[in-house]
Amino acid sequence: MRLPSLFIAFSLLASAASYDSVLIHNVDVYPVTSPMIHNTSVLVIDGKIAAIGAGASGKGGIKVVDGKGLRLYPGLIDSGTELGLSEVSSERMTVDTGELGDFMPQLRALIAVNVESEHLPVVRVNGMTSVIAIPAGGGRGGRGGGSAQLISGQAALMHLSGWTWEDMEINRSAAMYLTFPSIAGRGGRGPQSDDDISVAAPPVSFTELKRQYDAQIQKLNDFFDAARQYQKERAANAPGFKKDLKMEAMIPVLEGKMPVAITAMRERSIRDAIAFSEKQHIRMVLLQPHDVMKFAPELKAKNIPVILGRTEALGDSEDSPYDQVENIPAALYNAGVKFAFATFNNEFARNLPFNAGRAASYGLPKEEALKAITINPAEIWGASDKIGSIEKGKYADMIITNGDPMEIATQIKYLFIKGKDIDLSTKQTRLYEKYLARP
Amino acid sequence: MKKLITSLLFCCLGALAQAPPTAVAISNAKIVTISGATITKGTVVVRDGLIEAVGDNITPPADALIIDGAGLTVYPGLIDGLSTVGIPAPATPTRGGRGAGAAAATAAAPPAPHSNGPEDRPMTTSWIKAADEIQPTDHRIETARNEGFTTAVVFPTVGIFGGQGSIIDLAGVKTENMVLVPAVGQYIAMRTNPNGFPDALMGVISYVRQTYMDAGYYKLSKEVYANDPRGMKRPEYNRALEGILESKRILLPAERLVEMDRMLRFAAELKQPVILYGLHQGYRAADLLKKNNAVVLVSLKWPEKPRDTDPDDEDSLRVLEERKKAPSTPAVLQKAGIKFAFYTDGVEQPRDLQRAVKAAIDQGLSREEAVRAFTLSPAEIYGVADRLGSIEKGKIANLLVTRGELFDDRTKVEMVFVDGVKHVPAPEPAGRGTATETAGGGVNQ
Amino acid sequence: MTSKFFLACLAAASLASAEVKVIQNATIMSESAKGTFNGSIVVRDGKIIEVGQHVTVPPGATVIDASGQWVIPGIIDCHAHIGVDGGVNEGSVSVSSMVNIKDVINPEDIAIYRALSGGVTSMNVLHGSANAIGGQTIVLKTRWGSDAQGMIFEGAKPGIKFALGENPKRQGNPEGGARGGAPVNVRYPATRMGVEDVIREAFNEAVLYKAQWDAYDKAVAAGQHPLPPRKDLKLESLKEVLEGKRLVHAHCYRSDEILMLIRVADDYGFKIATFQHVLEGYKVAKEIAAHGGGASTFSDWWGYKSEAYDAIAYNAALLAKKGVLVSVNSDSLNGELMRRLNLEAAKGMKYGGMTREEALAMVTINPAKQLGVQDRVGSIEVGKDADMVIYDKDPLSIYSKVQKVLIDGTQYFDRDTDVSGRGAKEQEKQKLIQEEKAEDAKTASPRRRAQ
Repeated sequence: MRLPSLFIAFSLLASAASYDSVLIHNVDVYPVTSPMIHNTSVLVIDGKIAAIGAGASGKGGIKVVDGKGLRLYPGLIDSGTELGLSEVSSERMTVDTGELGDFMPQLRALIAVNVESEHLPVVRVNGMTSVIAIPAGGGRGGRGGGSAQLISGQAALMHLSGWTWEDMEINRSAAMYLTFPSIAGRGGRGPQSDDDISVAAPPVSFTELKRQYDAQIQKLNDFFDAARQYQKERAANAPGFKKDLKMEAMIPVLEGKMPVAITAMRERSIRDAIAFSEKQHIRMVLLQPHDVMKFAPELKAKNIPVILGRTEALGDSEDSPYDQVENIPAALYNAGVKFAFATFNNEFARNLPFNAGRAASYGLPKEEALKAITINPAEIWGASDKIGSIEKGKYADMIITNGDPMEIATQIKYLFIKGKDIDLSTKQTRLYEKYLARP
Repeated sequence: MKKLITSLLFCCLGALAQAPPTAVAISNAKIVTISGATITKGTVVVRDGLIEAVGDNITPPADALIIDGAGLTVYPGLIDGLSTVGIPAPATPTRGGRGAGAAAATAAAPPAPHSNGPEDRPMTTSWIKAADEIQPTDHRIETARNEGFTTAVVFPTVGIFGGQGSIIDLAGVKTENMVLVPAVGQYIAMRTNPNGFPDALMGVISYVRQTYMDAGYYKLSKEVYANDPRGMKRPEYNRALEGILESKRILLPAERLVEMDRMLRFAAELKQPVILYGLHQGYRAADLLKKNNAVVLVSLKWPEKPRDTDPDDEDSLRVLEERKKAPSTPAVLQKAGIKFAFYTDGVEQPRDLQRAVKAAIDQGLSREEAVRAFTLSPAEIYGVADRLGSIEKGKIANLLVTRGELFDDRTKVEMVFVDGVKHVPAPEPAGRGTATETAGGGVNQ
Repeated sequence: MTSKFFLACLAAASLASAEVKVIQNATIMSESAKGTFNGSIVVRDGKIIEVGQHVTVPPGATVIDASGQWVIPGIIDCHAHIGVDGGVNEGSVSVSSMVNIKDVINPEDIAIYRALSGGVTSMNVLHGSANAIGGQTIVLKTRWGSDAQGMIFEGAKPGIKFALGENPKRQGNPEGGARGGAPVNVRYPATRMGVEDVIREAFNEAVLYKAQWDAYDKAVAAGQHPLPPRKDLKLESLKEVLEGKRLVHAHCYRSDEILMLIRVADDYGFKIATFQHVLEGYKVAKEIAAHGGGASTFSDWWGYKSEAYDAIAYNAALLAKKGVLVSVNSDSLNGELMRRLNLEAAKGMKYGGMTREEALAMVTINPAKQLGVQDRVGSIEVGKDADMVIYDKDPLSIYSKVQKVLIDGTQYFDRDTDVSGRGAKEQEKQKLIQEEKAEDAKTASPRRRAQ
């Protein structure tokens, strides 16, 4: 059915020889949003997928890639990283997340991204083509200790390659990043390794912690109320109205155009975060909810999507079953809640596909695991018209592999971002080559 | 009549000059001897601070002051197996933990010099004897006595090697009169140093190990030197090591089963007779303790749920189980035939103490054994059972007289005899609580 | 873990070890000359007595039907920090060789169970990395339910931890640089130069100490009775290093410090048994290979510290290519990564093209050799301890899960038992919570009034 149009497309554009056009043939395509197609072709023109179908060979100067024995998938998407914003996480000067100030909605993560960060190539070559870059601290070099920043700024959806951050941008304001107040539990996951410089908080009475917690929520509500007031004044445009950058940044949130990515880990915070989002009439995405299963029916009913952290983690209590965290994705899927995976990290961001695969090991259907790192995040972040699957009209963000991208031993043979064939060499491969050659 | 006036005079003079009667007889009382069968109705005669006679068929001597014991029960005076009563409370005598309370400690005393290793003998005052530190005016002595304690095994508890404990009678004006046994063993706590080495539990253990190795070396060097000093550099006097060598046994802390195992092994390695103190997981440890012929002191400060916690937080199964079962420890030890005694461990309010013992009784400890754990057992553990801990002829007249069964809710302490001298607790104010307030703390704070 | 469960485990342990077991019809990755094949394994008295495509099933044997499943040797983690009471770092002094992990083993650390759930059967439990010369270390088997003594891998050579690079010099930073920013006593050294000095100074002392003791031993052998030298625990363990009786496990990152330590060891005449983490080891693979030390590294960690900035995921593969014996470890404080060492090892196939057997070797026979216990564990061969892991699928696949773990022939972990027991455990917990709530309501806590 596609053959005729494909033929026409080829004859029209056969002369195109741009760097972001390519024809991949003889490849098994996994579109994700539709069943796998054996031994077919994908034509990319000017960075977008122009056609998918069997047959035709390339004409003119278009680059051709032979995908014999290989597979083609959409590029993978990590829904939470500090890529480009943090180079050596324990060295504060290299870290640009976690600014000072409790309410900083006007800050934009995108403009602080270091295009030449060594982390970008390292993560790319495991199949990631785009990520959410978050403005919040949490890395060891970032804003540590004490209470978390409430609104950290605007998280960006970006490609992992480009000449500038403008080039990399998919959506500079993909979400407003909000960390909901919380009361630390007595358990907690603690330091992971001897190199982890975490510190336990000193014990404070619950009464006092609850008082602080309630005060923080009040501050949040006050801030949103102030933003609403500003919105009114702005619409009225009375004389003497002064533009306030913080409040300006809140307008799209109030209008429902920008979702709020809310981090809430424990039960109390999750419950109050949902209540808060309803009270303030905002669209929310729920991030890193450890106690998520208690809310699954509610999340489904209210269409609140979830971003899960790494499955390579332990439960919060000594009594947690050893696979507590691994079991959550399957349970969420069975409850009908939409979710995506994120690593919330740089050093381990390249292991995103393995986190998804691990969930598949513990009951999540493989196709769903793959969706959670492709089409689901695309939909959650409002970019499903551009990325997340192999479909005509979307960006040609694609990986060509010699196997299942969630399997450890799989090699990524080609990586395309907006149709451009990305060099798979990284600082690490270069050092490897150099020292391999040492006599 | 003359006799009446004389005795009245004596009483008044007694009141003024505080000269006790030479002999006292409590008759018509129930007597729980501990060493033998309980006497339903009998008499105890006390003279010159010793028990002269006890039995169900005794005629009180003619010169004795008679106390009508109808409705009363006489017990041996209670012995607190590990106490700090009488030693002025140090700023923060925390047990275990990672060097908390450093700031408070330094407020009271000049900061300890930084310790760079075992050779600096950090946190060691092994030469101290509790007997030399006792302040007879410490009001906690009276408080303890009002609860029925006549004796306490008091230890200096600061640092890692706190010093030697002494058995002290809980009444007296001069310390010399109060000391029953000046040195009963070295108190050791697995405490880290806020000011240098040792900074971790394994550091504390290696420090203690090195100290004992050094003590052995010191002893050997002194012997060799004594044998023939010529040509040999003299071994330097080291009071810390002297204190270690003088101690005939050690006390080591152990709450968890893992710690009991660890400390028993450690004591065996050091070749030191040991008494373990703490024992909250004793209910799990019967086999281990039996195998090692262990002697233990059980803290009555049962683990409690911390206050003001997040209702969303659930304690782990391990913690829940321990809280539930800790009071069953004494019953388990009793059943397994393991030698144990109680200590109050800072539980000072009589209501709290009574409730703590009651919890143990509710979980299977017999009432007799509960009393024994406060009387003859600690006497046996510290090797003074020949003179203390039960109501037998010839033993020291330390007695507790109650109205009601010991450890029942409404039981009151009527009087206490220490070294044969009667003490009556001050009347309690309305409501619960002791007659006197207590500041400072016990072994744990 | 309730004490009842412990007792059950212990009971199971004592019953099972004398039994004969047969693991039947599995795909066996033996990590031996026999390679990978479909077959069975016979176990008696905790040892493997037969392995092959066809085995004789002794009468009365317990048969574990492993058809469709995979069996590998028990996983050996060459760098763990679990099962330790009271802190893994004696960080107050630069040389803490007097302390010993063996003194603080906590066999009830739930992290041990979690490691077991991932197939770890032996682990090298190390002192932390706060000191240039740290404390003495020990090899344990994850015999969950045993007491501390029961965890010890009997016969494994004792070790000692060294640490180079940023961690041991952090406390020398006059700006405080300590964990969490809490003020600490400034402690020498503050630079890598100082780290070398600390090590050399310590061994300088140790050499003198050893000379004193050698002289004493000689005099005693000659029938004399001199006063012995004072025994010093700190120098005693370093003397053992000099005598080759104690293995040195050195935490290191940068190539310059790795080379430095090799030269120090050469000068004092001892060997580094393993270079731990050794993220820039690939740059000095030649020197490490010549020295004869093993390398125990992370699969793909990098970039979290300056000294990890040149770390590459190909480190293990490159070191192996250059003739170094390589293992992959977890450095875990809570057992999380210990659940996935099979997958960490599998990354060797992705980064550097290792074969399947080469990859798996990094968590089995290689760490066994590094710890000197290869005669006992590390492969499925006749005569070795029956330490084995049964997976439902290919252990090098992301989709596999551990089903059973045996140590010395005794089953210490069974996923089905664990999963089916969860309901009861949760019920018991809720029961205790409700009981406590009822108690609290009853007594209405007069303590609070008194407060």
